Amino acid sequence: MNTLWIVVIGAVVIYLAYNFYARRVDRMVIQTNSKRATPAKMYMDGVDFMPANRNVLFGYHFKSIAAAGPIVGVITAANLWGWLPALLWLVVGVSLMGWASDYSAIMVSVRNDGNSLGAISHRLIAPRTRVILFTFIFFYLLLVAGAFMGIMAALMDARPDVPFGILVLALMGLLAGQMLYRWKLDLILVTVVVVGVTLAAMILGPLGATTKLDAAGKPVGTNWVGPINSATVAFDHAVNQITGGKPVMSVVDPTNSDPRLSNPSLYNKATGQIFTLPSYLLWALFLLVFAYLASTLPIWRFAQPVNYIGFWITLLTIGFSAIGAVLAPFLKPAVGAFALPAFCSPANVAANVCQAADGGFQPLANGAFQPLWPMLFVTIACGAISGWHALFGSVGTARQLEYETDALPVGGGAMFAENTLALLSLVAVSIAGVGGGAARFAAGVGSLLSVVFGSGFVPYGTALGFGAFMVIVLTVTQLVFRVMRVTLSEWGGEAAPLLRNMHVSTLISMILTMALVLTGTWVYLWQLFGASNQLMAALSLLIVTVWLKSLHRNPSYALWPALFMYVTTLAATLVTAYNLYATIAIKPGMGALPVGGAWAMILISALLFVAALFIGWDSLQAYRRYAHEASTPATQVQPGD
Amino acid sequence: MDQKPEPKEEKKGFLRSMQEIIYGMASHDMSRYALRTRASMEHLFILITMGDMIGVPILPPYYSLRLLPYVVPQISTWKRRLLREKDVSDAMF
Repeated sequence: MNTLWIVVIGAVVIYLAYNFYARRVDRMVIQTNSKRATPAKMYMDGVDFMPANRNVLFGYHFKSIAAAGPIVGVITAANLWGWLPALLWLVVGVSLMGWASDYSAIMVSVRNDGNSLGAISHRLIAPRTRVILFTFIFFYLLLVAGAFMGIMAALMDARPDVPFGILVLALMGLLAGQMLYRWKLDLILVTVVVVGVTLAAMILGPLGATTKLDAAGKPVGTNWVGPINSATVAFDHAVNQITGGKPVMSVVDPTNSDPRLSNPSLYNKATGQIFTLPSYLLWALFLLVFAYLASTLPIWRFAQPVNYIGFWITLLTIGFSAIGAVLAPFLKPAVGAFALPAFCSPANVAANVCQAADGGFQPLANGAFQPLWPMLFVTIACGAISGWHALFGSVGTARQLEYETDALPVGGGAMFAENTLALLSLVAVSIAGVGGGAARFAAGVGSLLSVVFGSGFVPYGTALGFGAFMVIVLTVTQLVFRVMRVTLSEWGGEAAPLLRNMHVSTLISMILTMALVLTGTWVYLWQLFGASNQLMAALSLLIVTVWLKSLHRNPSYALWPALFMYVTTLAATLVTAYNLYATIAIKPGMGALPVGGAWAMILISALLFVAALFIGWDSLQAYRRYAHEASTPATQVQPGD
Repeated sequence: MDQKPEPKEEKKGFLRSMQEIIYGMASHDMSRYALRTRASMEHLFILITMGDMIGVPILPPYYSLRLLPYVVPQISTWKRRLLREKDVSDAMF
C-alpha cells in the first residue's frame, strides 16, 4: 500500500457517493428547488440572515467544521487498530452518513425558517429534547477542551522544538489584531508579516539539534543543542527545579497514547508511570492563559487573528503535504510506503507499533477494552460523521444559503472535503512508523514535505507538522472556551447571575477542564467526547427523520444512519465508562486526582447515556405520531411544501 | 423577487472560484463578526431611542421623532432580529 492508493480511493469514493447517492437524495427526497425563497432571503437582516455566494459559503462551512477532529481522531484510531479499519470507516461513514448529516441539518433548518436544531427538536419531537441537547453540548465542549488541553500540554512538555512557535503565534495574533483593526494596515501586508514570522518560528524550532545514537549507531533520540530548543530545555529544567526535578504526580495511561511516552525523562517504561513535572503544569497554564485571552478579549483583538494565522499555516502545511503524498510514489517510493500495519496483530502490539490486536475484542494488557465496534466509530468522528457539523450547519450556514440547491455542494461538499483532510492525516500517520499519535502525524508530514523540499527538510518539516497540529488544536480550544463561557452564562445565568460575568464563567470552564486533564488519560476523554459528538449526530439525524416523516416522505437515508450511530455511541459510552472504572478508578496506587477525574468522567458517561435514552424515546414517540398521521387520509397534506 | 440568475447559469473561472473559497475560509467569519458588532450597536441605539415601538417607552416622542429619519432604514431588521426566538446555539455562532 502506498500514498497514491489512498488518494485514488478517496477520489473515487467521493465521486461515486456525491453523484450517485447524495444528488439522488437531494433530488428525490428533499426536493430542493432553487426558486424557493431561503431564510437568508426571506428574513435578511444584514447580519445573521444574509445570502452568501455558494463558494464563499463552502469555504466558510469547511473551515468551521474541519479542525482538529479529522486529524486527532484518525491518528488515534490508526494507532489503536491499524490503518485499514480507519480507512474503511472514513470512506463508508462519509458516503452513507457524514454528508447526509451535514446536508440534512442545513436543509431542515432552511425549511423551518432558519431555526436551530434545538428549536426544531422542541417543536417536532418534545420540549425537553432542546434542554437535553444543550446538556450534550456543554459536556461535549468540556470533554473536547479537556482532551485538547491534555494533548497540547503533553506535547509542549515533551518536545522542546514546539513551544517557541506557539509563543510566537500568540504574539503574532496580538500584533495582527493591532495591525488590522487599529493601524488599519493592508490585509496582504499583515498576512505576509505575521504568517511569515510564525511559520519561520515553527520551522526553526529544531535548528541545530542532532540525532542521538546508541553504541550500535542506531538513533535513540535527539540532542537538543540548537539555539531555540536548548533554551526551551533549559527553561523546562529551571522550572522543574521548583520540586528539585521530582514529579508533582504520576499517572498511568492504560492506552499508551500520551505524547510524553516518547520522552524517556518523562516516562518509566518498566512501571508505565508518566511523570507530571512542574514544566507540564506550566505549559498547561500557558495554554489556559492563551485560551483565557481568546475567551475574554474582544474577538478581533486575539482569537480571530490567531485563527487567521492558523488557517494559513494549516493550509500551507496540508497543501504541500498533499502534493507530497501524490508525488511520493513516483519520486520517493520509500517515503510513500506504509509503515503502519493494515490491521493490528499481537506481533505488532509486542513491537509497540499499535495497541489493540485483532480488532481489540480481547482486553489489553492493562484490562482496558478497545473493541473495534463500537470504539472505532467514536474515535473517528469528524471526517466520517460529526454532530458538531449539524449544529453549526443549522445555525451558521443555513441562514446564509442563497439557493436551496446550494445546500448539497456546501454542506455535503464540505463534508467530503473534510474527509479528504482525514484521509491525508491517515496517510501521514501510516507512513511514519513507530511513535506516539501526534509524533507520527508530524513525522509523516515531515516525510511528505521532504518529497517537495528535499531530504534535508525532514526535521524542519516534522517541526512544522507538530506546529500545524498544535495550531489546529489550539485554535479550536480557544474557541471552545469562548463558546463554553457563552453556553454557561446563557444556561445558568438566570439561576446564578454571577455566571453572566465572562471572567467567572471562563474560569469555571477552565477549572472543570483542568480537573479532567490531570487524570492523564486523554484518550478516554477523546473517546467520551467522540461519543457525545456522535450522539449529537444521531440526534440531528433523528430530527431529520421525524421531520421527513412529518412531510410523509421516505426517511430511510437518515433513519438507518441515525439508528446505527445511536446504538453504537450508547455502547461506546458504556465501554469507556468500564475502561475508566477498571483501569483507573479501582486500580490500586493511581492517586486521588486521577481516580477523582475517572469517577467524574464515569458520571458524565452515565449522564450522557440517560439523556440519550430520553431523546431516543421521545423521537420514537414523535415518529409514531407522524406515522399515524400519515396513515390517516384526512391529514394527507405536505406541511412546509 | 431576486433578479439574480440561477446558479446553473453562472459561469465562473477556476481561479475566481478558488478566490471565493479561500475568502470564505480565511475572512468570511471576520466580516460577519464586524457586521454583527455594528448591528448590535445600531440595534441597541434603536432600542434606546425607539423602544416604544415594541412597548418600551424610553425617550419622549419629540426626540424620537427627531431621530426617526435616521433610524427608519434599520427598523424592519431591528424588529426582526430583536423579536425572533433564540436559544443558546444562536449565541454560540
